[in-house]
Amino acid sequence: MQYIVGVDIGGTFTDCVVLDTAAENGVAVEIGKASSTPPDFQTGFLHALEAGARGHDLTLQALLRSARVFHGCTVGTNALVEGKTARVGLLSTRGHIDATFIMRSGARLKWMPSQYIAHVAKQTKPEPLVPRALCEEIDERVAFDGAAVVDLNEDLAREAIVRLVDKGVEAIAISLIWSTANPSHERRLRDLVNEIAPNLFVSISSEVSARVGEYERTVATVINAMIGPPMRHYLEALEGDLAANGFSGKLQIMSCAGGLIDSDLARSLPVLTIGSGPVAGLIGATNLSLSKVGGSTNVVTADVGGTTLDIGTIHHGVPIRRPTASHGQFEYFVSTLDVRSVGSGGGSIIRAGDNALKVGPDSAAANPGPICFGRGGRLPTVTDAAALLGYYDPDYFFGGRIRLAIDPAREALSELGATFGMSAEEAAASAMRIVNAQMADAIWLTLTQQGYDARDFVLYGFGGGGGLHAGEIARELGIHTAVVPLSDLAAGWSAFGIAASDALVNESAGMSMASPFDPDIINEQWRRLEARVLDKLANQGIALEDIELSHHAELRYALQTNQVAVSVEGGDYDAGGVERMVAVFEAEYERLFGQGSGYSAAGMQLTSLEVRGHGPMSDVAIENVEMGDAGADFPGKRERDVRWATGMQSTPIFEGTRLRRGWSAEGPAILEFPDTTILVAPGDSAAIHDTGSVVLTVGGKQ
Amino acid sequence: MTKPDPKAWSGKVHSYRPAADWKARVDDRLELHEDVAEVLDPTDYEVIRQKLWTINLAHGDTITRISGSPVLATLDFNMSILTEDADVVMNAPYIQFLNAGAPLGIRYIMENYSTAPGIDEGDIFCCNDPWIAACHQMDVLFAAPIFCEGKLFGWAANAGHQYDLGGIVPGGWPQNAEDVYSDPVVLPPFKLVEKGVMRRDLEALYLRQSRLPDMVALDLRAQLAGVRFAREQIVQLCGRFGAATVKAAMRQMVDQAQESFRKKLLSIPDGTWTETRYIDEPMPFSRTTQRTQLSVTKKGDRLTISNAGTDAQTPGTNGIPFVTWAGSITGIISVSMLYEQLFAYGGCERQIDYEATPGTLTCVDYPAAVSGGILHAVTMMNAMQAVLSRMMAASEELKGDIVAPCAEFMLPVLIGFNDRGEYFGQAILDGFACGSGARSFGDGVDTGGPNFSPLSMILNTEQLEQWYPILCLYRRSDPDSGGAGKWRGGNGLRLGITPYRAQSMDIVTNTGGQGATSQNGQGLLGGLPSPASHYVIRKGTELATLMAGKRLPQTAFDIAAEETLWLGPKSNGTPLSKGDIFEFRVGGGGGYGDPLDRDPQLVARDIELGAISPDAARNVYGFDPEDSNARSRLRESRGKWRKLETSDETRVLATGEPDLAIHEYVVATDRNGERVLACAKCGERLAGFSGSYKDGALVTEVAITTIPSAPDPARYIDDEMVLRLFACPGCLTQVSADIARAGEPVFEEMRLAAT
Repeated sequence: MQYIVGVDIGGTFTDCVVLDTAAENGVAVEIGKASSTPPDFQTGFLHALEAGARGHDLTLQALLRSARVFHGCTVGTNALVEGKTARVGLLSTRGHIDATFIMRSGARLKWMPSQYIAHVAKQTKPEPLVPRALCEEIDERVAFDGAAVVDLNEDLAREAIVRLVDKGVEAIAISLIWSTANPSHERRLRDLVNEIAPNLFVSISSEVSARVGEYERTVATVINAMIGPPMRHYLEALEGDLAANGFSGKLQIMSCAGGLIDSDLARSLPVLTIGSGPVAGLIGATNLSLSKVGGSTNVVTADVGGTTLDIGTIHHGVPIRRPTASHGQFEYFVSTLDVRSVGSGGGSIIRAGDNALKVGPDSAAANPGPICFGRGGRLPTVTDAAALLGYYDPDYFFGGRIRLAIDPAREALSELGATFGMSAEEAAASAMRIVNAQMADAIWLTLTQQGYDARDFVLYGFGGGGGLHAGEIARELGIHTAVVPLSDLAAGWSAFGIAASDALVNESAGMSMASPFDPDIINEQWRRLEARVLDKLANQGIALEDIELSHHAELRYALQTNQVAVSVEGGDYDAGGVERMVAVFEAEYERLFGQGSGYSAAGMQLTSLEVRGHGPMSDVAIENVEMGDAGADFPGKRERDVRWATGMQSTPIFEGTRLRRGWSAEGPAILEFPDTTILVAPGDSAAIHDTGSVVLTVGGKQ
Repeated sequence: MTKPDPKAWSGKVHSYRPAADWKARVDDRLELHEDVAEVLDPTDYEVIRQKLWTINLAHGDTITRISGSPVLATLDFNMSILTEDADVVMNAPYIQFLNAGAPLGIRYIMENYSTAPGIDEGDIFCCNDPWIAACHQMDVLFAAPIFCEGKLFGWAANAGHQYDLGGIVPGGWPQNAEDVYSDPVVLPPFKLVEKGVMRRDLEALYLRQSRLPDMVALDLRAQLAGVRFAREQIVQLCGRFGAATVKAAMRQMVDQAQESFRKKLLSIPDGTWTETRYIDEPMPFSRTTQRTQLSVTKKGDRLTISNAGTDAQTPGTNGIPFVTWAGSITGIISVSMLYEQLFAYGGCERQIDYEATPGTLTCVDYPAAVSGGILHAVTMMNAMQAVLSRMMAASEELKGDIVAPCAEFMLPVLIGFNDRGEYFGQAILDGFACGSGARSFGDGVDTGGPNFSPLSMILNTEQLEQWYPILCLYRRSDPDSGGAGKWRGGNGLRLGITPYRAQSMDIVTNTGGQGATSQNGQGLLGGLPSPASHYVIRKGTELATLMAGKRLPQTAFDIAAEETLWLGPKSNGTPLSKGDIFEFRVGGGGGYGDPLDRDPQLVARDIELGAISPDAARNVYGFDPEDSNARSRLRESRGKWRKLETSDETRVLATGEPDLAIHEYVVATDRNGERVLACAKCGERLAGFSGSYKDGALVTEVAITTIPSAPDPARYIDDEMVLRLFACPGCLTQVSADIARAGEPVFEEMRLAAT
């Protein structure tokens, strides 16, 4: 196929990139943008596609006839956030139906902001995902060793299912204790549901997320069921529209695991699409890191939006994963790239604290937005501070789509600053420093928790605010190189990441095996998981010879809780294979937690086996992407006064899209792109890399 | 202000308490870094404050990661950053009282050891002496001095729970210890790491005390790595901003906490608030209860905290040392009144004077047994929570931050061997899923967890079954376990287990305060206490038959059994065999306000959701769908309660000040030339301004089993315990409810100071 299309639907805009892989100079890129059209997002999808096709002088139909279509789909996320999900009934083992109400007590607060954790009187639990009236207990029991100590009581189960169906549930989630060790009861229950109510969406925990831990597994299963019907509805409509316009291929959907899955799998496991937006950005960064933009394959990413900062980590060119994600206070199992959100962004509100200004974590978001947007925002935000400091051209913010009103922002900041004897500009500078330090602290904590030292990394800053903060965050962290990737594409960055993704399917088995490990059991699991992965990838249209399988095991020391996932060899295990797996685990454990930190005398536990299958969906490499050199050496567009940490300085402003590869400049300077603004502080320098990325060299700490 | 006599409070017999002039005894050769930047840029302040918070969190993370211990993974530790003279700058959102000993231990070290063996760069001290710095011996403190420019700049410290440090019962909770010689080993502060090098001899000595030396060695390594990490980061911070600037920020944080606390105190009228709590069974099966009392006198911007009225210590495990008592108090202040400071509560202590009577249960002298008594710290925190909440009820500004006490801590330990011959012996920490107390504006959170440790969590059932050879038959939210009230306490849990692939299994029970006899969380301002919990074994049940018939029990009581064996609050090992079911309840939180004030729709909803039983709805809330008069009848029945006969010597002249609400149902107001305490609903005079409002109330004394689902305390203790209810004689609103030993005079609860 000549064209690769990546589409990313956001709350406000739908972005699309169309790559022409047969262009003269490698790969030609066009961006299409359209307003999102909730609740029928497929309409905005087609509009964006049409715009992208126009860039290549194509009709929508002509494009679709020879394109692969990759899609970052937020329908599930939106349905959850807006509470427009299916009515779900839950079946759990008798005695354990309360797991999603108990929420492991204080564990629910783990990812909440510190202000919330500290204020005990204001803490609460969210509304339950499944109301009590729709929870049914099933008489059956499997033990940790997989033994069915109570057989499934089918008569009572049928009655329970009928009760739920009579109450009008639109989907059923089934999550039984130790279904990871023996899924037969879950499967049988699904058969019963299919028999009683053939059209209901059913999800079972051993297939949604086969990890040990019933609370997080049940939440994953419930969320999957909640968004199953809306996802099914959306994909049917979208695929209908695409087919009507000549598309005969299979729609590929971005998953939070960091790769593409086909739409059939997205229909049965929609939970995999939640959080795929930020993950796509991290995949784009991973791609770029492999070309060593910034000089390292160790990259920490800062995706700065209006409300949140999303942090991702790439180590030796491989993005770091984690086994859980969160929906508010609900934590659930899903194999995802580790992207952590903190409440820090352009919309973060600036307030007067007792001794100093405080920034965030609450945000004015898009509505009412910063004061300077003139949409009714009354509270000053980071964007207001940036505008006041001269970082933004009031007439060219967001490519001129929003005109900034500086005076009201100045007024509000002046009032705030007065508390501390600061002028409006001083207050703005103070807020800017505080938010930069906050972002850097959050990144530092993330890396420290992952066992890394920030100074071994380069920073990639993207999202609308990436260019504004990248240099200062890097400086705080002692990082010398900050990259604003493909600055021209800033707005289409997620869509680009989607277009650059491979197919990726994971299959895992939750285990509870004590050492010495039996290689026969391991082999049996490998073969079973491999077969499932190959089957799914074949359905996705990947040729067998293109599939790359990788094997991963998760172990812990018997008396310690840290579970460590490691890459291990595939093939047939014998005693030697087991030994090598253990050795890899022990080495990684030491790397993460320090020499001698593991206690091997009491043995080990194998907690999970996973097979991942990769298949190429396109052979687009970032370095081949042709961005087009718009103009010759372009002088400073103009100069304006900008307030830097070192003081007020007249600063050259460059129009980013007209800068050639190889161009460079010493700070102070500002590079303006339609969707992002890049600060080059005094003492720092900027250069345009071959990929079109802006590379900042950051001086010492100021 | 009390000036503890340094000779008496030396940590030998009485607990160590630094005297006002403790610094005078620090060796002059130990230079303290006391330089403070004269001007602190507010932005620098905020940036440094954030960084200290982040460093402290990463310190904690370092500990859990390196140790990998399931105990530390449940966050049974806490870590702090302190100034050179041991003011707490930063504490963490884990168990609040746990590192309260750091300032004491560090001051002790500075006072006693600054000459020899000296305090040097790279040193790390270790201590688990409960008369100096440890809440009990199992929570071992590690403190690292931080040097900048050759001077002592500050301290990084953590305290964490160990697997085992000897003593007569594995795990360190000996309930049958008469004195400290049966407890785990006691180690006064010693320098374990000298100028960066571990003293191998002392490490060996330390590990030698444990039944599980390898595991303790891992935790030792983790805790040392934690303080080292924090120390390095703070030194770097000083390198970047200048030590004097960082110190200025630290001082300002401490001052800020002090100032914020001071301002809040000023919004509360002067007076004294008192709470009486009991602690059962000094020794297992001793069938008696003992009394503690906590009084907080607030005058202007200061608090005086006293334990007068507390019983003298006796042999057994009912006592806590001074550090635990004081830590319980500051821990609760931290989460209730200083949440804006994010656990940087340090400065609040400057506003507090402790009047501790040594030799009593809440300030035990050496050589009392203390390790098994640590759960009574929760009892004290609940007492402080009740007192502080009632104080905050007298402040419009603070009323929204009231939380009723949560449950007492129930801690069963399972010990034995699985069928592979592997030993197990750890506590089930489901106590961390207790219900939280009601608030002034809403219900407590069901299985929300204790207010004194917001992040503490419970394991998944599947994890429990990996660690122990058991089947967890049920783990349910427990109806009626929260205290009733206008706002009810959150419900706790009910857990049932049976052995599975076990060779042997014994159950050991440990309980704080009155948790297994009389009550869990106190009720506030007319709300009811939450009922006590229980431990029970149903021996020889028909479980196997039931399971073979494809059924599971709903509770341990809907299945036939040969015998029902109730385990007391403290017991040292009862076998659990195949076919037996062990059930325990984790309590709920206390209620707030008169249950008859509860919106009937909420009662109906609670019944529908199974949060309360129809019986409780009828008997406590007067809610009966069939009988619309049930509520008014219940209210009218209070008219038969007895009037207290009290003298009224507390007349205070009218002040002309506006009315002041001092309680959900009581207001201070001028009436006929007198300042009185009157019912806020009907205006009935209850007492003179500086009297006890209970004096004018109607009272009744009923059995504790009146509380829905409450067990009879007589099962375990011979002292007769009663529930006392108080109502306004005018409108019959229930204004107070408390639990007392029969014959005790009415608890005053509060008495305002006449100006």
